[in-house]
Amino acid sequence: MTVTADYRTGLKPVWCAGCGNFGLLSALTRRALPNLGIPSHRVLIVSGIGCSSRIPAYVDTYGFNSIHGRAIAIAQGAKLAKPELTVIAVGGDGDLFSIGAGHLPHAVRRNIDITCIMVNNFVYALTKGQVSPTTPHLQRGEGPFLSPQFYPPVDPILDMVSYSASTGASLIAQGISSDVSHLQWLIEEGIKHEGFSYISVLTPCVVFSPPELSSTIREKASYLREGELVELPDSSTEKPWLHDPGNISLALRLAQVPLLEKPLLGIFFRGK
Amino acid sequence: MMKSVTIGIVGAGGDGVVVLGSYLQKLAASQGYFSQMLTYYGAQIRGGSSAAKLGLDAEHLSLPKDTLDLLVCFDWGKYSELRQELALGADTLVLYDNKPPGGIDLPQKAFQVGFSRESQELTGLTLDKNIVALGLLLRILALADDRVKEAIEEDRELKLLKENLLVLQAGQHLFSEASFSGLALSPARDVSAKVVLNGNAAVARGAIRAGCGAFFGYPITPAAEIMREMREELSLRNGVFLQAEDEIASAGLALGASLAGTKSMTGTSGPGFDLMTEMMGLFSAAETPMVIVDVQRCGPSTGIPSKPEQSDLNHAIYGGHGDAPRVVMAPYDVQGCYRLGIEGINIAQYFQTLVILLSDQWLGQGLVAISGDLLEEDYPIEERKRPAREDVDDYHRYRLTEDFISPMASVGDEGLVYQGTGLAHNDKGAPAFDFETHQRMHEKRWRKLMPLCQRDDLVKVFGKEKCSRGIITWGSSAQVVLETVKDLGLQNEVRVCVPELIHPLPGRIKSFLASTEKLLVVEMNYSGQFYHYLRSEMDLPEKTEVYARAGGRLFSRRELTGPITEVAR
Repeated sequence: MTVTADYRTGLKPVWCAGCGNFGLLSALTRRALPNLGIPSHRVLIVSGIGCSSRIPAYVDTYGFNSIHGRAIAIAQGAKLAKPELTVIAVGGDGDLFSIGAGHLPHAVRRNIDITCIMVNNFVYALTKGQVSPTTPHLQRGEGPFLSPQFYPPVDPILDMVSYSASTGASLIAQGISSDVSHLQWLIEEGIKHEGFSYISVLTPCVVFSPPELSSTIREKASYLREGELVELPDSSTEKPWLHDPGNISLALRLAQVPLLEKPLLGIFFRGK
Repeated sequence: MMKSVTIGIVGAGGDGVVVLGSYLQKLAASQGYFSQMLTYYGAQIRGGSSAAKLGLDAEHLSLPKDTLDLLVCFDWGKYSELRQELALGADTLVLYDNKPPGGIDLPQKAFQVGFSRESQELTGLTLDKNIVALGLLLRILALADDRVKEAIEEDRELKLLKENLLVLQAGQHLFSEASFSGLALSPARDVSAKVVLNGNAAVARGAIRAGCGAFFGYPITPAAEIMREMREELSLRNGVFLQAEDEIASAGLALGASLAGTKSMTGTSGPGFDLMTEMMGLFSAAETPMVIVDVQRCGPSTGIPSKPEQSDLNHAIYGGHGDAPRVVMAPYDVQGCYRLGIEGINIAQYFQTLVILLSDQWLGQGLVAISGDLLEEDYPIEERKRPAREDVDDYHRYRLTEDFISPMASVGDEGLVYQGTGLAHNDKGAPAFDFETHQRMHEKRWRKLMPLCQRDDLVKVFGKEKCSRGIITWGSSAQVVLETVKDLGLQNEVRVCVPELIHPLPGRIKSFLASTEKLLVVEMNYSGQFYHYLRSEMDLPEKTEVYARAGGRLFSRRELTGPITEVAR
């Protein structure tokens, strides 16, 4: 068995300078995987299509850069066939929440032990800036009829908590690409968790997202810490409560906090 | 004494038509009779019309005849809906429950037999009328009584008969004033019990035999039995089975399992096959072993889900964007389903390719009693080409080799880590977008399949070598073509070519076509897909006729007599 300290391949990433994917790559290859000490041949990273989905080529584990939206299906098949593998599925918001959205609830329902990392850059960036299911309403919509009034932004965290609430078995977390140490911790927790783990990574696009998106998220972000009071947005009339990731009802309330008013970072829910 | 008897059974859904047919088939099979049962349904799934046509044969496997020797009718209204499939002749014996309405011409030997009344008297319900009828049929066909009793004792699937033995016996003595002796079957030539199987179960068992360890599927008519069989077989073998959320996921899950080194398969029908198209390209690009069984039904779109057609050939050969080589094979009988189940897995593994097996609703769902020897024979089993010691720590997943097949590591193998992709890639699997690499990888993927063209054993040619008249056909239609040629006594006048391997085009098809002066192409799709495929690959004889029509109804001997006589002339 060989454990390499650095899980990077020699390939140079195609991402733009300043892209949050570098943070994810670093959290994964320089920290989480070496920390966990999983031999590289025991790891499989499956991705779909999109900027973040180029990641398998840069990680010196088994990897498969598949087709748009299908990473989760392929990842589950590999895990079922070889349970001793550590299987990670990576995709973007368009990949996992638009074209591949049909696969997500079933992966959650089956609770097969894979870690799904959803890199949310709020936009279709590889195709140069079209609106995605997570694009905030402060950006131009899909067409003339799309307005904030009629089409409020999709909140992926809400969906995921709802999915896992129906199965009662999952791990749901959110990190941010600019905090690599925190992201590393979330990935480690996701990999260690026995069951389907879902980690959303906030990484506003450096090219196609408006600069205020990134600054808003960073300024308003708040970390969830077990046993400590959760921070709610100013607009909230609720009384803050002590964070308990084992409580799905509290997790559902957290998930309803609008992302742009109070981006919550940490583990929302950890099922048994 | 009859060497073969064709029996029709018709009624409403719930009358137990198919149960009656399959029990009779099983009991006859236990005494050594070959048989083939066709089933027909009306548009409704429950309560619609339901019919079975069972051909029993004492000597060899044959098709049920166009015209019935015997009809059991529980419902004349339903008979009217399916009368085309259940043609009566002047000598057909008709046994019916209730008097026919006006407008139905009955042959001379037609009798009202109180199946329902007898059931009602014995059980208080008319439900067991099919068991009453079964009893009478056993007497008419002269199946040995003691052997019937033995089979009922031994076969768990005949449990219902064990519980209703009295009803069965009452049926055997029903209508005793008539002897019906003319329809007694001659004793089976070989009395060893036959195995009753449909093509869906056969292809699944074949795949299991070849070592298939993972199956993923989504429910669809008429392929659902493949999923059922695989679930049972894999659960006995600690294999992987999962019902997916859709066919895209079925194919994706199977791809994941294949990457991890497991022989994987999925099965579907037209609409699901469409959904798998994007994965087909990925299997081809990433050179991942995979078998997709497509049990064809009438298309396009939802079409006629419960009836056969041979109209997915274009999609199987050409489906998907880009140049994506794959292997397309088509069994033409139940035995072929089993053999190609093995062959499909073997070829997929050896050549690291996608193999598409084109079956159809008739092949897939029709129950056939065959000799069990097929299941006992030895078959060579192929494995993937594995990396050698020198590949460790310097592994090139798509390394160019003499036969264009690169050693394939399984995810989890130490020292052989690689990153695969559907992107154009170099020999390490890393994305590479330069023209030279792209061209070279295309050459590799196409050329590795070329040895398959030498597989003469996957092209069946029947008839005399020197014959200049030929018929080429594929899939289940071949059964009707072969029987019609035999019935017409034209075995010495025409050769019949039935390729089980269709794409890449085998050399033996080429030589068959090149040595044929007058050709008939027979297939069950409106546009003549096979004919156009052959034409795209080579020049066809100047005198070439095509007999192609939509599916939905099986070819009959009567229908093919004209075109076959013409080509033989």
